[in-house]
Amino acid sequence: MADYAAEPASRGIGRSLLLTLPVALWALLMFSRALMLPGVAVKVAALLTLVFLVTLFFQMVRTRQTNRWRRWFFATLGFLFPIGFVWELVALRGSMSIPMEKMIAGDTPFCFMVIPMILLPAALTRTVIFPGAILPTASNPHSIAAMIGLWMAATLVLGKGWCAYGCFFGGIEEGVAAMPRKARVRKIDGRWRLVPWAVLAAIVLLSLATFAPTYCEWLCPFKTITEYAEVRSIETAIQAGIFLSLFFGLVIVMPWLTKKRTQCAFFCPFGAFQSLFNKIHIFDIRIRRDQCTDCVLCQNSCPTMALNKQSVADDKTLINCMHCGACVDICHKDAAVWHIKGTPVGTAPERARLLHLYAAWGFAIMFGGSIIAGTLTKMLGFLG
Amino acid sequence: MRLLTEAALLGLASGPACLASCGPVLTPWLVAERAGWRRAFGLLSVFLGGRLAGYLLFAVAAGLAGATMPLGARERALLFAAAHLGLAATLVAYGLRPRRRAEPPLVTIGPARRSWMPVLLGLFTGLNLCPPFVVAAVRAMETGSVTGAVLFFLAFFAGTAVWFVPFAALGALRVAETVATVARFTMLALAAYYAYLGILTLLGRLLHG
Repeated sequence: MADYAAEPASRGIGRSLLLTLPVALWALLMFSRALMLPGVAVKVAALLTLVFLVTLFFQMVRTRQTNRWRRWFFATLGFLFPIGFVWELVALRGSMSIPMEKMIAGDTPFCFMVIPMILLPAALTRTVIFPGAILPTASNPHSIAAMIGLWMAATLVLGKGWCAYGCFFGGIEEGVAAMPRKARVRKIDGRWRLVPWAVLAAIVLLSLATFAPTYCEWLCPFKTITEYAEVRSIETAIQAGIFLSLFFGLVIVMPWLTKKRTQCAFFCPFGAFQSLFNKIHIFDIRIRRDQCTDCVLCQNSCPTMALNKQSVADDKTLINCMHCGACVDICHKDAAVWHIKGTPVGTAPERARLLHLYAAWGFAIMFGGSIIAGTLTKMLGFLG
Repeated sequence: MRLLTEAALLGLASGPACLASCGPVLTPWLVAERAGWRRAFGLLSVFLGGRLAGYLLFAVAAGLAGATMPLGARERALLFAAAHLGLAATLVAYGLRPRRRAEPPLVTIGPARRSWMPVLLGLFTGLNLCPPFVVAAVRAMETGSVTGAVLFFLAFFAGTAVWFVPFAALGALRVAETVATVARFTMLALAAYYAYLGILTLLGRLLHG
């Protein structure tokens, strides 16, 4: 993956190893159970994932660059998640499509994307408008309570950072956007950034009106690579057509052309919803005006267009910043810095970055790591 | 009198369902208007007027049909498809309409320009196939006369209208320009949804008779 910035001064190997030690121990703890399970595939998969994630963290510490290494993890997660998920679906029910009878039986795996849509109906009528199970069952381990619990934990730790360290869907775009050397489409109107908020408002209102998760029924691009309602009518055929068009348009073609995460930046309602939690997140990225030369490198590097002329002038990012660190990595003048809210801007930014990384990477190992290791186990087992 | 009380109570009791049905249209529209209390109440009144017109149109149709024959499924489907497509077109027109000037001109010559948008929004949402509306339509048809159906819908409208009053607060919100733009985009997204519903109903009728 090409990177934009010149390398800042690296840390020494010894000091980097020492700073990596807590993460290595956490990873060992997380994968210890898998390492002790019978079977070679599960052990090899766990070991590979552990080494991969700890090495990436070591590199982040040593090179002082965040996004450059994070992207490897995130793209890997994005490409392995659908493989593992579909594998599981095929093993459970023999197909990627979910039949109506399974939906009625509450066997639809719950996805975090549904959360903004279920809140109002649940608050007003004590009804969860999703055909899933509240608690895990043998036929549906991805229960509503488990996913909401996980999301709440992730939100507390990461805020909007969920979109850079947790969302397996975003990883696909991240990987596709990293492939071309240069963006073919460079001028994008900033007003597109408002579309996710409009989609969020529309789906929340329509879900309340129709008592159905509208986004999942009509708009989710990721149905293409996870599961979708069985095509049995014109309506379900149109739905499948919308899913495919949105997936190939926003997750494959546009990221390739723009080198941006176009689905996340210009469509995803969950991303907009998650942005609200940046307000309570302890870390943010700020711009030191005294160092800034208005070179706009940070604005161009941001995969979700979370920086513009005005926000840089105001010395901060926009609300949709997902803390990927791309702007900090690319800034030659160290004007873009990590920051802990409540402290003066520019006070020990590297310490702020490391603190953020410990939290984010800890979650990444626990959540993304288990997905990567799980899929690798299936693949290695298949290969014999 | 018993019938009118029943209609008013039906309206009052099914108000939340009306809100759920009309809320998706009312919310972004009033937020986008940034009207202030007084104008918000004015806009809401015009909207409700349009909604009443929709009710009365349907009441006349229901009364006429009830007097001669039941309104067929085909006619109902066509009416609601037309209402959905009309609503979608109005939302698109509203969403894409140039922004109103923040400051009015010092002197306005000639009559003030009036917009038909709130009336159309009210009319098309009034003809929406929400559950309380269907119940009211069936009861209105059962009266078997145009006068009876009109009176029934009038009382039903009075019962539901009470629930719409709090929406004026949305119009009174002094939101930022960005939020108003988001509200306009939301109207476009909703237009796509209603257009889809209308087209799907029409297609269903064409394919299945």
